[in-house]
Amino acid sequence: MKKLHVGTLVAYIILTIFAIITIFPFIYMILGGLMSFQETTAIPPTIIPKHFQWGNYAKVFKQAPFARYFLNTFIVASVTTIVSLLNSLLGAFAMVNLEFKGKKILQMVMLSLLMVPGEAIIFTNYNTIARLGLLNTYLGLVLPFLTSIFYMYYLQSYFGSISKTIYKASMIDGASDWNYIWKILVPMSKGGLFTVGLLSFISSWNSFLWPLLVTNEDTMRLLNNGLSSFASDAGAETELQLAAATLTVLPILILYFIFRKQIIQGVVRNDLKG
Amino acid sequence: MKKNQTKAWLFLAPTVILSTLFLIWPILRAFVMSFQSGSLINLSWTGFSNYKYIFSDPEFWSSMSHTILYAVVTVPIGLAISVMLAWMIFSKVKHKSFWETTFFMPYVTSTIAIGIVFRYIFNGDYGILNFVLKFFHLPTANWLDDPSMSMITVIIFGIWTSLAFNIVILMGALRNIDPNFYTIAEMYGASSNEKFWRITMPQLVPTLAFLLTMDVISAFKVYTSIYALFNGQAGVGNSASVAVFYIYNKFQMVGTPGVAMAATVILFLLILLTTFLQRKLMKKIGEN
Repeated sequence: MKKLHVGTLVAYIILTIFAIITIFPFIYMILGGLMSFQETTAIPPTIIPKHFQWGNYAKVFKQAPFARYFLNTFIVASVTTIVSLLNSLLGAFAMVNLEFKGKKILQMVMLSLLMVPGEAIIFTNYNTIARLGLLNTYLGLVLPFLTSIFYMYYLQSYFGSISKTIYKASMIDGASDWNYIWKILVPMSKGGLFTVGLLSFISSWNSFLWPLLVTNEDTMRLLNNGLSSFASDAGAETELQLAAATLTVLPILILYFIFRKQIIQGVVRNDLKG
Repeated sequence: MKKNQTKAWLFLAPTVILSTLFLIWPILRAFVMSFQSGSLINLSWTGFSNYKYIFSDPEFWSSMSHTILYAVVTVPIGLAISVMLAWMIFSKVKHKSFWETTFFMPYVTSTIAIGIVFRYIFNGDYGILNFVLKFFHLPTANWLDDPSMSMITVIIFGIWTSLAFNIVILMGALRNIDPNFYTIAEMYGASSNEKFWRITMPQLVPTLAFLLTMDVISAFKVYTSIYALFNGQAGVGNSASVAVFYIYNKFQMVGTPGVAMAATVILFLLILLTTFLQRKLMKKIGEN
């Protein structure tokens, strides 16, 4: 019995140490964003600022168009999420409920496409977008991401669990495919769709390399690109960099704390399927 | 009765069209471009010269060796720590979802933003890491400005980042292990250690193989975290340049897309090989 207690105690200690290592950067980011310049460079380091410098945020908004970055990121993440969800939903429906020639081959092609790393195609995609004259446009930012084979797969497994007899019955009742999708499929798989939407929104919010390539005008930048260029421009003003970083991370963290269950379960389910 | 409902293609059209344009076409194009030279608007056929160029380019080799070093060090250490933490959360402590939520946070947050925080923490003059090390009388380092430290800094940040996904997936796998195994083992008086090595580990093998591949692949693609740590650079004097940096540099900065695509093809083949090995490994595990 005693040995068990020691083991538990050790577990708590180790977990606490690692939890602190995990969370500390987030807390330090928020606190650092409220420090004065002197406090950020003081030795020993300041942990809790004497006076919260809320003015740092005003300075950040003054020095770079963060409001615009927010708007851009929000538009891009929302459009990407809604349209890619719709497209993968329609595709997954066809793959699950309809019979057609070439379905098996299509499934195989899609499966092998899942292995293509984004980094391998991002530069040639940039070339395509450039040729279409879509650099520095919202369309250019979202176009390659308006569907997702990955999410289509995820939804297929979701839709597969809804009995096909329901589909057949609704066909006999004279419903169209379109009716079936919106009146039955979507309401019945709300949970899955919501999770996919969340994950898609988060990854779109955090995207970096693609927007870095296809935008170079300040007004078209997304948060992360704005943030990284702000970090170079702000130079030694660490407190402003940290305030800007907080602005970028906070919306997603709030979303995460509200929907942590769905997000974690979604990731687990997603990736074990692959 | 075999039906051919051609209307299916209508539902699939957006996905098929977009995937062809932005997934299939770019791969083919990358392969073709890797045999061409010139600028983007004026490409001409040059055979294998791009490949010859990268294989004799020391910059390419240093980028590749950094990438592989990063994968070889980050992945096993990250996995080992993750297994330890996941097992502790699963078997030893209460409030499992609290711990899980905590450890998963880095997964959803922007690497650029967190990289900025780490840059501050790693700062040689006033960073908190050196302060803590000094406090415990441990040697300090110039984490960001010393070229010989760059990869170590990147690896530490990489391990920190990789724990989140690993832990959550491992927790999922641990929950799937039949609890009867543990009950029976307890009846026979198995210790916690024995339970871990005799029951848990063998059951985790498929998950570990899966995570190993996923982690290795994402290690091959490392880019953003280095960009964030070194403020857009690949470390002092390119001391932390990795494959994607090399490709980006050749494509965008130097303006030799052919060379960039040859390097892309190599990276792509490496990733494909990893996936292939994983499939084989999984099959072997499945047979036993």
